[in-house]
Amino acid sequence: MARAIEVKDLHKYFGENEVLKGIDFHVDDGQVVCVIGPSGSGKSTLLRCVNRLEEPTSGTIVVEGVDICDPEVDLDGIRSRIGMVFQSFNLFPHLSVMGNLTLAQRRVKGRSKGEAVEVARTNLEKVGLAGKEDAFPAHLSGGQQQRVAIARALSMDPDMMLFDEPTSALDPELVGDVLEVMRTLANEGMTMMVVTHEMGFAREVGDHLVFMDGGVIVEEGDPHEVLGNPQHERTQSFLSKVL
Amino acid sequence: MRRTTRKRLNLGLLYGVFVLAVVALVLLADWEAINKNFFDWEVAKGLWPEIVTIGAKNTVVFTLISFFGGLALAVVLALMRLSPVGPYRWLATAYIEFFRGLPALLVIVAFGLAIPIAFSWQPPGGFVGAGIAALIVVSSAYMAETLRAGIQAVPKGQTEAARSLGMSAGRTTVSIVLPQAFRIVIPPLTNEFVLLIKDTSLLALIGVAFGDRELTTFARDAVVSTTNSTPLIAAAVMYLVITLPLTQLVSALERRQQKAR
Repeated sequence: MARAIEVKDLHKYFGENEVLKGIDFHVDDGQVVCVIGPSGSGKSTLLRCVNRLEEPTSGTIVVEGVDICDPEVDLDGIRSRIGMVFQSFNLFPHLSVMGNLTLAQRRVKGRSKGEAVEVARTNLEKVGLAGKEDAFPAHLSGGQQQRVAIARALSMDPDMMLFDEPTSALDPELVGDVLEVMRTLANEGMTMMVVTHEMGFAREVGDHLVFMDGGVIVEEGDPHEVLGNPQHERTQSFLSKVL
Repeated sequence: MRRTTRKRLNLGLLYGVFVLAVVALVLLADWEAINKNFFDWEVAKGLWPEIVTIGAKNTVVFTLISFFGGLALAVVLALMRLSPVGPYRWLATAYIEFFRGLPALLVIVAFGLAIPIAFSWQPPGGFVGAGIAALIVVSSAYMAETLRAGIQAVPKGQTEAARSLGMSAGRTTVSIVLPQAFRIVIPPLTNEFVLLIKDTSLLALIGVAFGDRELTTFARDAVVSTTNSTPLIAAAVMYLVITLPLTQLVSALERRQQKAR
């Protein structure tokens, strides 16, 4: 099976602090890989290295067969094909929902206004927010904002989606709607890398589960196996606290 | 004495001092002289309509040119100041520190008088053109620092979101960062605008042609020709007529934006 993301021997330092200590990691096409672990384990940093929002210190990252650390690489082009969803939504507050969804389509993909609007409407409907085109982000709930953020990423027709703790900033009663959208995406065959604390989602939707701690991958495998029968002591201790 | 009684006494004392001061001022002032020299209705009528069609008009025009010219230059300076390229940063920092450290008056005189002598070159627009160029240069230094603070106040996640969608650094700055930065700095920029309205009066010092006189020059000339100080009061009223609606308009804008957030 073709590899969507292939990470080899990835090291990342913040100053003197080594947050990633030689990570080997991959996501196959159409796979949903969830990454769990305590805060400070380096899981978000790993995800942010995949579209080079963080600059890797050493190692290789290959996305869809392209080495993204190559200085010659068209980084903007690659990024436009990797959808990213942030913990804090990061919608553009000065633009309406429609503005948020169409800006990059038009400026990066060069779509006409009519085409961009049509794509945006389709994706808004998909996340259950048809009719919110003219609202501004400040007037939406956290759950709605995050779904707009997902629709914004989807409007670029990405090959894969990265989720960086997409539900961590949400009130508990709003988490379900966002997870539902992600579940639908997974069922449609979208390639997904999800850093999350939602163990239920990881178990039911994930094809593969990675547990990280202290900048290394401690344990990985089938989500049911890892969550139900963890082999490593650190995994056991982490899961005993969160489950 | 009870505490409330003492409080009342203190308050009464303060009012007493205030009333005494006002009474003393009124008694001491020579009202006839004041009326004759500052509030001469005939002199004031004589200023009309040139005080508006020349004085106020030029003040507004000079301010607008200086402000938007300065703002355009300030955007460039602020971006240079935040550039990862060292020489850009140093150049912008040197420019800003230099022109913020000098009185606007000095720069205006330099542009209007020193540069033409030193380089035997006349800036376009004569003295007024040189003076406005000086105001652009000085105000851009102030506004660049304001804008830099505004740009830095835009959350980092905004840039990250834009870049993750494939937008270039330049596109991100233009479409995402600057629009949000401008909203943040509207109040301090208004302040700069009001300061500039008043700074146009400094152009009086390099002497400008008849049609180019702004309010202060216009009033000073009128004081000489009428041998009466009423034009100064008239000019003061005109300045307030210009600035007060402006500051009101901006606070209305601010309130509306607060609601939208």
